Amino acid sequence: MADRSKINHEFPPFTYEVERGKMRELVQAIGDDNPIFLDREAAIKEGYKDIPAFPTFATLPMNWSNMLLNIITDLKINFAMVLHGEEGYEYLQEIYPGDVLTGKLRVVSIDEKSGRSGSMDLVKLETIYTNQRNEPVLKANALIVERK
Amino acid sequence: MAKELYFQDINVKDQMPILVKGPVEHMQLVKYAGASGDFNPLHVDPEVGKAVGIGGQIAHGMLVMGFVGQALAGWIPKKYLRKFNVRFVGMTRLDETVTVTGKLTDKKQEGGNNIIRGEVFARDQKEELLIAGSFEAHLPEKK
Repeated sequence: MADRSKINHEFPPFTYEVERGKMRELVQAIGDDNPIFLDREAAIKEGYKDIPAFPTFATLPMNWSNMLLNIITDLKINFAMVLHGEEGYEYLQEIYPGDVLTGKLRVVSIDEKSGRSGSMDLVKLETIYTNQRNEPVLKANALIVERK
Repeated sequence: MAKELYFQDINVKDQMPILVKGPVEHMQLVKYAGASGDFNPLHVDPEVGKAVGIGGQIAHGMLVMGFVGQALAGWIPKKYLRKFNVRFVGMTRLDETVTVTGKLTDKKQEGGNNIIRGEVFARDQKEELLIAGSFEAHLPEKK
């Protein structure tokens, strides 16, 4: 059962350096051949400064900084019972190779819901990412479901 | 590929070009785990899924959201996308084919922006829903 005392808790900021190779690896794993995500010249031709981050790129800083695992542990959530319920992004500026992102993650709410398959905790998380110029670039919302 | 798109070029009920992905293979899940940093054994170890009673390996929900992102950014240029939200409805298993569809539901000018909104879906080959989502974009106007 998720720890209610963490509602509205903000975790210490975490940083993540955006690497060109890792950006391409994500796009290749998904199997997208859209050249703006792979080829700098093609991206510049379409009005970007460099290859822009893929729409779901924010999953990388979350996973590679171990934030999600830390939060699950800190909120005393049973990892084996976790489902990813929802994910959403608000794009404020493009993220480019070489950017250094700082993520600030907050627990927005923890609610209990009962359904046919038993009761569950719904944990809403919000992460705001800024770049090295302190400009907000992306807001990520996730809903984590803990089955009980 | 998404080329230039103007507010005048798109209308409510316009369909996103259909994208068919897969079949989802074990190696793609291994690659996606390495790329995204999500090494949850449910996605990379065929034995774990059997052991916990979900009948085998399942794809990362975020990979399927990636398929939807590919379709979306192939239709609406990435630079115009403002919001992209999904709800994970069903599990995607090995060898399944994923079909991504979508359409425009709303188009209006507000606060100096040319706003479009739409819905997106991912379904498996049995037409079962995997993802339901929505998006918002701000488009330039043709002068």
